[in-house]
Amino acid sequence: MNIVVCLKRVPLTQEVDLQVNSDKKDIVKDGLAFVVNDWDNYAIEEAVQLKEKLGGEVTAVTVGYEDDEEVLRRALAMGADKAIRIDPGERELDAFVISKILSSVIRDLRYDLVLTGVQADDTNEAMVGVMVAENLGIAHAAVVNGIEVDGNELTIKVELEGGIDEVSTITLPAVLTIQTGINEPRYVSIMGIRKAGKKELKVMTIDELGLSQDYLLPQTVIEELFLPPETEGAEILEGDPGTIAEEIIRIIKDKGVSI
Amino acid sequence: MSLPTQGNSNYMLAISGSSLVWVALVIAVCLFSYLIYKRMLLLRRAQPDPRFSMPGRRLLGLLVYGVIQKRQPRYLWAGIAHIIIFWGFVVLSLRSLELIFLGLHLDFLDPLLGNRFGWFYSLLKDIFELLVLAACIFSMLRRAIGRLPRYKGSHQFEAYLVLGLISFLMITDIVFEASGLLWKHASFYWHPAAQLGAAFLSDVGKEDLNVIYQASYWLHILTLLTFLNLLPLSKHFHIITAIPNVFFRKLDKGSIKPARWGVESFDDLESVGVQRLEDFTWKHILDFYTCTECGRCTDNCPANAVGRPLSPKLLTLKLRDHAYEQYPIFEFKMATGKEKKEKKGETIAGGLISSEEIWSCTTCGACEEECPVFIEYIDKIVDMRRYLVENAKNPSTFNQVFMHFEKTGNPFGKPPSKRSEWIKDVEEIDVKVLKQGDSVETLYFVDSYGSYDPRMQAIACAIVRGLHQAGISFGILGPMEKDSGHQVRRMGEEGLFQLLMEENVEALGTVQFSNIITTDPHAFNTLKKDYPGDLNVSHYVPFFLDLVTSGKLRPRKKVKERIYTYHDPCYLGRHNDIYEAPRQLLKALPGMRFVEMERNRDRSFCCGGADVILWHELEHEEIRMAEKRVRMALDAGASCIVTACPFCLIHIEDAIKTAGLEESIEVIDLMELLLTTL
Amino acid sequence: MGEIMVLAEHRQGEVRDITFEMLFKARELCQQNSHSLTAVLMTDGQGSYADQLKSWANEVVVFKDDRLGNFNADFYNVILAALIEERKPFIVLMGHTPWGMDLAPALSVKTGYPLVTDCVDVLVEDGKPKVIRQIYSGKIYSKVSFKESDVYLVTVRPSSFTPEVAEPFSGEIVEHDLPADLPTPRRVFKEFVDTAAGEVDISQAPFLISVGRGIGEQENIEQVKELAEKMGAVLSCSRPVVDKNWLPKYHQVGTSGKSVKPKIYLALGISGAFQHVAGIAGAGTVIAINKDKKAPIFRVADYGVVDDLFKVVAALKEKIES
Repeated sequence: MNIVVCLKRVPLTQEVDLQVNSDKKDIVKDGLAFVVNDWDNYAIEEAVQLKEKLGGEVTAVTVGYEDDEEVLRRALAMGADKAIRIDPGERELDAFVISKILSSVIRDLRYDLVLTGVQADDTNEAMVGVMVAENLGIAHAAVVNGIEVDGNELTIKVELEGGIDEVSTITLPAVLTIQTGINEPRYVSIMGIRKAGKKELKVMTIDELGLSQDYLLPQTVIEELFLPPETEGAEILEGDPGTIAEEIIRIIKDKGVSI
Repeated sequence: MSLPTQGNSNYMLAISGSSLVWVALVIAVCLFSYLIYKRMLLLRRAQPDPRFSMPGRRLLGLLVYGVIQKRQPRYLWAGIAHIIIFWGFVVLSLRSLELIFLGLHLDFLDPLLGNRFGWFYSLLKDIFELLVLAACIFSMLRRAIGRLPRYKGSHQFEAYLVLGLISFLMITDIVFEASGLLWKHASFYWHPAAQLGAAFLSDVGKEDLNVIYQASYWLHILTLLTFLNLLPLSKHFHIITAIPNVFFRKLDKGSIKPARWGVESFDDLESVGVQRLEDFTWKHILDFYTCTECGRCTDNCPANAVGRPLSPKLLTLKLRDHAYEQYPIFEFKMATGKEKKEKKGETIAGGLISSEEIWSCTTCGACEEECPVFIEYIDKIVDMRRYLVENAKNPSTFNQVFMHFEKTGNPFGKPPSKRSEWIKDVEEIDVKVLKQGDSVETLYFVDSYGSYDPRMQAIACAIVRGLHQAGISFGILGPMEKDSGHQVRRMGEEGLFQLLMEENVEALGTVQFSNIITTDPHAFNTLKKDYPGDLNVSHYVPFFLDLVTSGKLRPRKKVKERIYTYHDPCYLGRHNDIYEAPRQLLKALPGMRFVEMERNRDRSFCCGGADVILWHELEHEEIRMAEKRVRMALDAGASCIVTACPFCLIHIEDAIKTAGLEESIEVIDLMELLLTTL
Repeated sequence: MGEIMVLAEHRQGEVRDITFEMLFKARELCQQNSHSLTAVLMTDGQGSYADQLKSWANEVVVFKDDRLGNFNADFYNVILAALIEERKPFIVLMGHTPWGMDLAPALSVKTGYPLVTDCVDVLVEDGKPKVIRQIYSGKIYSKVSFKESDVYLVTVRPSSFTPEVAEPFSGEIVEHDLPADLPTPRRVFKEFVDTAAGEVDISQAPFLISVGRGIGEQENIEQVKELAEKMGAVLSCSRPVVDKNWLPKYHQVGTSGKSVKPKIYLALGISGAFQHVAGIAGAGTVIAINKDKKAPIFRVADYGVVDDLFKVVAALKEKIES
């Protein structure tokens, strides 16, 4: 089964206090570390596991600049066979544009399945995957947390709300957007990534793809970024753990819950 | 039967059948050579290991540890018994030679032994024979009655057999000598052992004496030659291999071997870490051959003491047995244990040796410190971890931690820009955060935990206050500093360690300093031993001891009234032999009341360590190492434990809390204590 | 006068809450901008969805077909695209749910109309819609506008709007013909599976003690289990704990877990990602303990403690025992 995985490199922001740029159109990215998008990491692992079970080739793709090649190399180290980076040059990107770029490249590849994460850690939009499917005119399903292969048909589980999973079959070729927790992504060491440098990593430009400016017009405009409004929030309890514990117990009993 | 007399050896009777002695000797030597050759095969296939540096120091080590057996008396009675037996072997080797020559009718040794030296040697030999016999009997009884836990898993039968054989050798020689002297009516003056033996032969007639004489000779020689050939097949191979093993010992303890000796770049390596036997270095294989099964390593292993699945001795024995199976001599072998493992080339890391065993180790070095024959463990464990990490077989909790180390230079994932934010807490001092081109006397390498963990930041603040008070010009690298990498290397992510190291070396290269001090013994150890170049790095304890003895710092105020004890951190103590400096520093504090724990200095008990334990819980642990240590402190009568390692501090602090012992004992870092007196 | 369309989402006989939340917000927008409000429903005829919806909108457009029993993006896309082309509504609102994520981007590509997803607020400025959404997992807010278009597509985050009591519409239910070219579906529904069914039903517990990523390791959950036992509380958790297999799924609180309405919700080491917070929207009193004073949970909690959760857990145990 030949699989294409779409990856994105995003800032690592879990422990960081983010600040908005002076032009209010982006965050301050100085000093931020960059990593592969967590959802995409699960997608790559899923693709490699499927390949290990069924054979075939995994191709990792990203739209980005030279620094973004890092996520491709990690994917190659995890088990992908080939990688492609599409350099967007000066073009302004949004989900719509990215999905068009990706589709035009994937269209010419040999593939049965396209995997990508549900959404990206930065923009949190959850759009590119399904847009790529529609561009390619193939089947799709979002928020997939289980895949079983039976020839040309997959049985997939989609994670709905409230702990309900929806089981359905889907015919290939298809795009699936992958939810976290579907597997346990393997670790790749620094040395492993270095060794993966021997695998193929192709770079293409948008001009090479013949995609015109008009074709790649963004659909949306970021007017302004701002920090979350300071709501009243919680009443902070102070003191040493003993005092706090007493206070918590008092609150609980107050609300009519017996301990 | 009449006895032909030899012309030259007029003090020994002749042995009949010298041609048979030749035959026996030739067979024995050929067989022995073959056995050694077979054992060498694996050594030749194993990885390189440069062990020929500093031959003078190595020879000295051989003298101290091999000949004088300095480590043996750490277990007093076993040690004494072994020293006697070992010395007996050395002394009696001349006798063995003498007997062989006697049987071959050669007279090379006659000039040496035919005069006063010969009488002196006889006396010496006899005394030793009795001592050795006594030691063997004592050892056998001790083993049978004692039921010592460290012998669990050892081949007891073999031990008894060898002790029995040695005893037999002693007895046969005594009987041989006794019967000969009786036959000749010679004097027992220089032969006290023979005299004893003669007591049992008092009513034997001349003819029978001769039979006994010949028989005991043959029994002795055959036993000797058989014993020689049993050596490569049993745990007593150490009799031969201990000498090279001690000579080739690791001189720079505390360091970790590179992924492969002699290979500069990883790109040239096909694989990393130990998967199969041949991936070990030849010295490591020699280690397996040399294990005496004494169990002293396991007896002192803190992981083993808390119920983790690791037993250093069993680790070595499993690998030795595996080596003997993969490279068999014949089908019949002595030291392979009960089961035979069929699979050839079985994976070692994660297979023969389980992952849990491999992750159990805290790299404390207690095993290596105890081993009388200098078997190494830490490098092997790290090599096995390297294999696990390269093949994604590490605990998944490491993934995010490694990613954080790589991307942010610290295990927390916190931004590097905030690495020096803690200096705000020392408002009264303007701590210099070094920039390119700056120059200070002392560079304070804070490392990740000191920079980001609130409890350890307090120690960093104390160090800074101390430096300031002593008027030292110092600075910190701040955001330029990356984690020293000591954990990363010992957890098996070698590539990541190299990355961190390179970044730190580059940062250090941009500033000027005379010396470096660290908060943490691990950082000190890694900067000193794992980093290239000769960094003038010291842990803060010896540095501050200097400041106190030179008068730059004067501890004036009395310490809080407690009974203090000192916990030797593994990476300050065992790995770097710094035991007295912290004690001197403590004794310099006014009002110090100090007690020593039973396990102190190189017998200190690891608190849990600074790597795996932070990110992976081992399933089978019965009690925390730190809690065991706290109880040891209580047993010593202490009410305050002083540590010199931030990780020891948090583990012990944690243990005191979880064991509910806050009323009975507390813990403090040495720097914090020192500061209270200034 | 334009039209604002809201796509109704339903499952196993019930119209989902998100639909009513969107309808309520759309009502406000319609009132402000003189638009009419239309609910769009796809159904196989079973269930009383249309009836549930008619008091919420001016019109309920119903597509009825045997094949529309369960959501299917292939059908919904074609049908909705045709409807949109026909009526050119000003704004189309869909839920940002797993089904909405499967549909909306495809719809946008098919129709060529711009889409912004996961919006927490929708406004109309200068005759054009603008939306507020979150990025970087809620750390930053973003105000987004669209390129010029006839129709604007928006998906709405569940629990962003809370329907209040309002004058009911007397909505007209209109059945609409399906487009002729409905495709053969490439995806076929098989069944629903309840993965959160387990020994304990956390959604019924009056007192929950919940652990998040801050618990550090699986073994540490033991102490909290003990505390829960002592306090008569039920143990629950956030998603990362289940992802790591430290607790079974039926403990999970949040959009992909369960919604809970306890009187007391004690959150230990939970950052407060919105997916989790959505699950406790109905909780009475939320007490959060987290080392990070900037953790989003403190925005929604009633009481907060900025400290090491293990210290507080130990102190609580001690106080309970004495």
